[in-house]
Amino acid sequence: MKNDNPLSPHIQIYNWHISSLVSISHRITGIINFASLTLICFWVSYLVLGKDNYELIFIFLNSFIGKFLILAIVWSFSFQILSEIRHLFWDYGIGFELKTANITGSLVIVGSFTLTLIIYILGKNFLI
Amino acid sequence: MVQIRLPENSKIEKGNYYKDKTGSKNLRKVNIYRWDPSTGEKPRIDTYEVDMDNCPSKVLDILNKIKNEIDPSIAYRRSCAHGVCGSCAMNMDGKNGLACTKPHSEIKGDINIYPLPHLKVLKDLIGDLSTLYKQYESVEPWLKTSKKNDEKENLQSKKDRAKLDGLYECIMCACCSTSCPSYWWNGEKYLGPAVLLQAYRWIIDSRDEDRKARLKKVADELKLYRCHTIMNCTNACPKGLNPAKAIASIKKMLATS
Repeated sequence: MKNDNPLSPHIQIYNWHISSLVSISHRITGIINFASLTLICFWVSYLVLGKDNYELIFIFLNSFIGKFLILAIVWSFSFQILSEIRHLFWDYGIGFELKTANITGSLVIVGSFTLTLIIYILGKNFLI
Repeated sequence: MVQIRLPENSKIEKGNYYKDKTGSKNLRKVNIYRWDPSTGEKPRIDTYEVDMDNCPSKVLDILNKIKNEIDPSIAYRRSCAHGVCGSCAMNMDGKNGLACTKPHSEIKGDINIYPLPHLKVLKDLIGDLSTLYKQYESVEPWLKTSKKNDEKENLQSKKDRAKLDGLYECIMCACCSTSCPSYWWNGEKYLGPAVLLQAYRWIIDSRDEDRKARLKKVADELKLYRCHTIMNCTNACPKGLNPAKAIASIKKMLATS
């Protein structure tokens, strides 16, 4: 029998917790990382195709949008890595207490930005 | 299939406003989800002004007060009023919990009360939990043993008994399962935190002789591994239990056995 009763509201009314926020971000950054690998592949391919082609992607990546894109990808990878470490501990059965999970969740969020900043500073000052 | 938006018949409309008639100066607005199956109307939010000077401390007290003094047509489940029966599980202030143990002083601003999320509503604050009960039945929540001990107790060591702590206290109020986004999107197939915690309670019981079969039964891409450790369950549990940890323990047992 088909049940035509209304469905009670769910995501519309449910509060976000740190743990759920990190969880959904983990998924989103996973998808972004997957897509950004394509960009990295293009970069590598252009390198192989010769100097003129390389210039093109060099100009794009040095533009404001390009720089923003790189930083966003660095953040996305940072977040994914830190969150994945958290998941590894969980797989060992460690870190499930609510307090611990909230602390590690916050660390992932703060850490992802810190790591992005560190990579940015390192790249800007030492690698070019 | 993930459906973020509510179906057309579930969209919530603005409902009635019940103004205070007591003349109290200490009023709070309480917004309550209403749906009456006999009218064919869409769900609505009714707003009640409640005199807080003459209201005990818990959210359930507010509901009782509204039902007794303002609007007797409102429907909700309640029984023990002491956090033991699990009947009055609902969504208050954006979080699942038991109305009888949730102090309204913890809620800032207007008090919003909804049924448990992502359930078919039977009436007002009452959701249909029959799928969850069927899933509970599927994990065969009873002791399976070949011992025919009619005269003596079936003993277990203190250490083995301690393994059941944090599991046996579950009152099956469904706060955790209905807080879980995975259960929202895959509730037909994914067992959900409440049922998986119960499954683990029997898997880990030293007196049970069916552990291997129980583990095999639950080891399923949809039944178990839809848990992505979102931890809404542990956040919601009004008894302070940790379903996320119980699920992880099942996963660990499967990975190491």
